[in-house]
Formats: sequence, C-alpha cells, structure tokens
Amino acid sequence: MALVVSNLSVGRNGDQVLDAVSFSLESGSLTALVGPNGAGKSTLLQAIAGQLPIGSGTVELHGATLLPALARRELALMPQRGEIAWDFPITVGELVDLGRLVAARPGCCDVEAALQRVGLVGLADRRLDQLSGGQQQRALLARTLVQPAQILLLDEPCAAIDPPSRTALLKVMGQLRDAGLTLLVSSHDWGLDLDAYDRVLVLDRTVLADGTPGQVRQALGDLRVGNHCCG
Amino acid sequence: MLWWLQPLILALLVGALCPLSGTLLLVQRRLFQANLISHAVLPGLALAVALRLDPGVGGVVSGVAGALLAEQLSRGDRGSDGGDEAVLNTVLAGFLGLGVLLIPLLHIRVDLEAVLFGDLLAAGASDLVRTLVAFAAVLLLLGLRYRQLVYLGVDPMGAAAAGLPVRRLRLLLTLVTAFTVVSAMSAVGVVLVIALMGAPALLALTGALSLRQALVRSAALGLVISGAGFGLAIQPAINLPPGPLIGVLCMGLLPLAALRRR
Repeated sequence: MALVVSNLSVGRNGDQVLDAVSFSLESGSLTALVGPNGAGKSTLLQAIAGQLPIGSGTVELHGATLLPALARRELALMPQRGEIAWDFPITVGELVDLGRLVAARPGCCDVEAALQRVGLVGLADRRLDQLSGGQQQRALLARTLVQPAQILLLDEPCAAIDPPSRTALLKVMGQLRDAGLTLLVSSHDWGLDLDAYDRVLVLDRTVLADGTPGQVRQALGDLRVGNHCCG
Repeated sequence: MLWWLQPLILALLVGALCPLSGTLLLVQRRLFQANLISHAVLPGLALAVALRLDPGVGGVVSGVAGALLAEQLSRGDRGSDGGDEAVLNTVLAGFLGLGVLLIPLLHIRVDLEAVLFGDLLAAGASDLVRTLVAFAAVLLLLGLRYRQLVYLGVDPMGAAAAGLPVRRLRLLLTLVTAFTVVSAMSAVGVVLVIALMGAPALLALTGALSLRQALVRSAALGLVISGAGFGLAIQPAINLPPGPLIGVLCMGLLPLAALRRR
C-alpha cells in the first residue's frame, strides 16, 4: 500500500471534523473522495499533506510515518479553486514552473512535458486568468506534475467547470494513474463520472463506504445516506 | 545651489519605492497593512524623539509592532462578519491615539502636520539615506524571494503545503513595508503614502503578464506621478505642498485603472 491512514481524528476551531478515519491507497490508483459539504474532505486532504495538526491516529507512506518533511517530498496538494488568486499576474508557464521551487529532485516532467500531459501545449505564455475554468484546473494539475510527488491530493478539481472540461480532466487523471501515480480526488459528483474512478471513499466525518463505484452505490442505498449526500 | 534638487531626488526615489512595496502587498491582498503601519509608526517615532534616537528606527519598530499585534489578534477567517477588519481598524486607531498622547506626555515637540502629510521641501540628507536603505531592502527581498512571493500570492495554501516559509515571508514583507512608510514620511507623510502605494500598483497590475512586469510598471508610474506632483507644486503660480498634490494625482489614476480593467 502506498498510503495507509489509520484512525485519523482531526479537530478544527474546537470542532471534531474527522473521527477515526481509516483507509489505504494502492500505488497507481485513482480514488474518489466524496461526501456532502462539511464532511471533512478538504480537512482530510490537508491533514494527510501535513497542513493540519492530527488529533490522533497515523498516516503512513510505504510503511513510514508521514512527517511534514516527507509529505512535502512525496505528496502534492492541489487546493480548491477558491484558494487560488486567479487574477494574479502570472502566465501558465510560470505557474507550472512554481512546482519546481519545492522540488529537491526533479518531478516526472519539466514544464513543457507537464503542459503536454494535461493538454495545454501552446498556452504557456497565456495569462492565467485568460484560460477557461477547466484549463485553469489543468494548469494547476500540471504544476503538481512538476513536483517529485508520487501521490497527488486533488481538492475538488472538477468543481465549477463545464462537463466537457470535466471529462477532459478525468481523462488526464486516468492517464496519470496509468503512468503509476496515486491520486486521491475529492469531489461532489455522485453521477456517472464516479465510474471513472477505480475506487470511491464516502466520507462524512468518518468513512461511510469504501469500494468500487458499484459497491459504494449499493452501500449508500443500504445506508440511506444518498439523499442527504447527493445534493 | 539648486534648492529643489535634493527634494526632487527624494520625491523620485519615494515615487518609485512606494509602488514597489504597494504592488507586493496588493498581490498578497495585504495592502491594508500599509495603512495600518503608516498610522502605527507614530508612537515609536515619538519615543525615539524623546530618547534622542533616529525617529525612523522608532517608526519602523512601532509600525512592525502594530502590524504584528493586528495579525496576532486577527483570526484570518472572519471575512464575512468583518471581525478582522474591526481588529485592524482598532489597532490602527489605537496606535495613532497612543502616538498623539505620547507627545504631551513625553514633553516633546513633533511637527505632526509634517509627519502626517509630509514636508518634502524641508527634507534632509538623512531622509535620503533612509529612503535608499528602504529601496535596498525592497530590492533585496525581490532578488532573494521573488518566486516564493509569487507562489505565496497566487496560492497561499499550496505555498504552505509545499513547505515555503510563509510566516517568515509575510514578516519580511511587513518589515519592508514599515521601511517604505517611514522613508516616505518626509515626502508625502504617513497618511498620504497609501495613495502612492496603491494607485500605481492597481493600474500596473492590469494586464501585466508577470509580477515582475507589474513591479516595473508601477515603479515607473509612481516615479512620473511623484516627479510631476513635485514639479507642479513648486511652480510659483501654484505653490502648494507637494505631498497632498501627489496624493491627489494618484487619485487621478483610479479612473484609468477602472477603464483598463473593463
């Protein structure tokens, strides 16, 4: 297993956001992390990335406890759209190149190759806010590819983009999985797009269901949480 | 002797310096910090005068202390209810009030009008040195930390996740802002400095392809505005204080910025 999360509990501003969360990720897998608003998806990704203090539990990477320094080297976190200053004066190429700032060793791609992998060739000199929402998300994804990380934590990369862009992004994520990267992708999507993932984790403070898309749909039906999750 | 040469050089230096710091703050969404620091310099300045120290040093210490106190008391997540804004404004007013109170309490003489609105024509060599030091500090920060500042500006959470020293970067930015504000004190005063930090930056950022380009543009704009303001102010037919005139000219940039952003 690439990543093993055991009994993870995290609090924020005095509230318990995650309670005894346990799951593991295989190397070279594409996993969806779904749940309603406030379920703790972003908190979980940030805690795994070493951005939030862990109350209890452990996060292990290839059998070793994931300390912040190791997390920075082996994991890349792509934040939600709302965290990015899209009007910042920066070109696509310069944004992607920022990934190299944190790389102690080169990632899988240089800037040009990363842009090629996400289908943004020829847009390196374009200002970031001149791209469509889907292209902006792919530019951010390209930045994580320049980092040396083997595990990508993507926080709602498909939010607020049109269906064709979402399909294109899911295809890119599938290609990255095929190339051996491990992806954990938070999402609000409960529709057919879930089938693009190998596995689905349903989170609402704790893990409610874990399995293939089909297994999870079945489990959610049994749990009768679908209605409140699927808004 | 060209009596206007030294004040003009100071006006041009401050005119280029303030927009540089202002652009850095604006892209980090921290321009309000310049306003806070500009008001928070007063207690340190008064104490330094009482202790016969360089007023600039006292101002920098006091300005940074005000900014750090406001940051400590703010939670950073109270945007919706304006809680952090209330904290920042209260610290700003508190430091300004403390400074005004210290003047009679310490039995010192401080030309408050010159501190608040500048007195460019009375500026001396020490003001020039102070501005050059501030300029060097800004250029050093840009030279050593440019890409980190870009990362922090475009994606603060990603920057933290990537292990960038976010707190240290913000502290350095605060320090450089305090240097800038204090150095601009004699030229445009601590109240009007915010116009020179904000307006050229706003105009320069529109359509800039990189932060570097925006910095160069904003410095050039500030230099022109400051030089023009000074040149106009000393015309016998006009004969007005340069600081407020520069502030008014900066306001004239805002419609241009609004037009360009459409």
